[in-house]
Amino acid sequence: MSDIKAQIFEIIADLVEADDVVISDDTALLGDGSVLDSMKVVTLCIALEDMAADLDFDFDWTSDAAMSRSRSMFRTAGALVAEFLNQQQAAA
Amino acid sequence: MIIVTGASRGLGRAICDRLIEKGLPVFGLARNVEGLPFPAMACDVGNHDEVKAVARDLRKQKAEVTGLLNVAGVAAMNLAVTTPQSTTEKVIRINLLGTIYCCQALAPLMMRGPGGSIVNFSTIAVALGLKGESIYVASKAGVEGFSRSFAREMADFNIRVNCIAPGPIDTALLRGISGDQIGKIVTQQIIQKQFTPDAVCDTVELLLDPRSAAVTGAVLNIGGA
Repeated sequence: MSDIKAQIFEIIADLVEADDVVISDDTALLGDGSVLDSMKVVTLCIALEDMAADLDFDFDWTSDAAMSRSRSMFRTAGALVAEFLNQQQAAA
Repeated sequence: MIIVTGASRGLGRAICDRLIEKGLPVFGLARNVEGLPFPAMACDVGNHDEVKAVARDLRKQKAEVTGLLNVAGVAAMNLAVTTPQSTTEKVIRINLLGTIYCCQALAPLMMRGPGGSIVNFSTIAVALGLKGESIYVASKAGVEGFSRSFAREMADFNIRVNCIAPGPIDTALLRGISGDQIGKIVTQQIIQKQFTPDAVCDTVELLLDPRSAAVTGAVLNIGGA
């Protein structure tokens, strides 16, 4: 697992506040079966924004793509990591 | 810091001056910030990219934001059927979208800290349903609805969201409106007098004060409606 992916999963795990939940690529962040409520998703976004700033790029979590139902970066933890890495790559 | 939009003139400028007088750190946003005697950045609040750029800049500065006052606005005193499309779009863009954009982009700066107070600006014309202001009223009614809902979204972050709805305050926004027209509006207020910017500044101070920590999702009509 890459460092960035591990860091993002750790942030999500801290927000979940439940020992019996293991964060994986398929962990749902929004919608049915999600492990986070909407406010925790916002807190997650702010944490990712700060993490991106440390990596010297801007993480945009308000784009149209971010909230698209079918392609939402928030549908799973894996999708969120992929979008974060995409944005990092695009900024490089 | 307290971010004030529409900071270069009118109510926004009066509020900045009052807050500075009280020793509070003000950061102004306006389309033209040349010559302003306090820290400010040029920004058209109706331009999503410009608002996001301001947020990005403040985030990089690690600015501690505890207040956001969305004062920037334009008025349009026309019957709806005689209002040009460009005017309708401008009023909605600056008054409603501008408020939404600023809340979306700048509230996360407040979420990083201990919380704070957001004050959005409506108008008493919403409560009174004034004739000849329907487009303006539509934009401000949107601000009120947005603010009530946004207050719920922000509550978990210890951020309060309220609206101030002034009557016809004596500012540049009223230029071109006759005394007779202003008088007609004032007589519909509960307190039938035209207030000065001081009344609005007092209310802003009240909503920024931690002693109003229990007040959120409210619309305070200046003069009463």
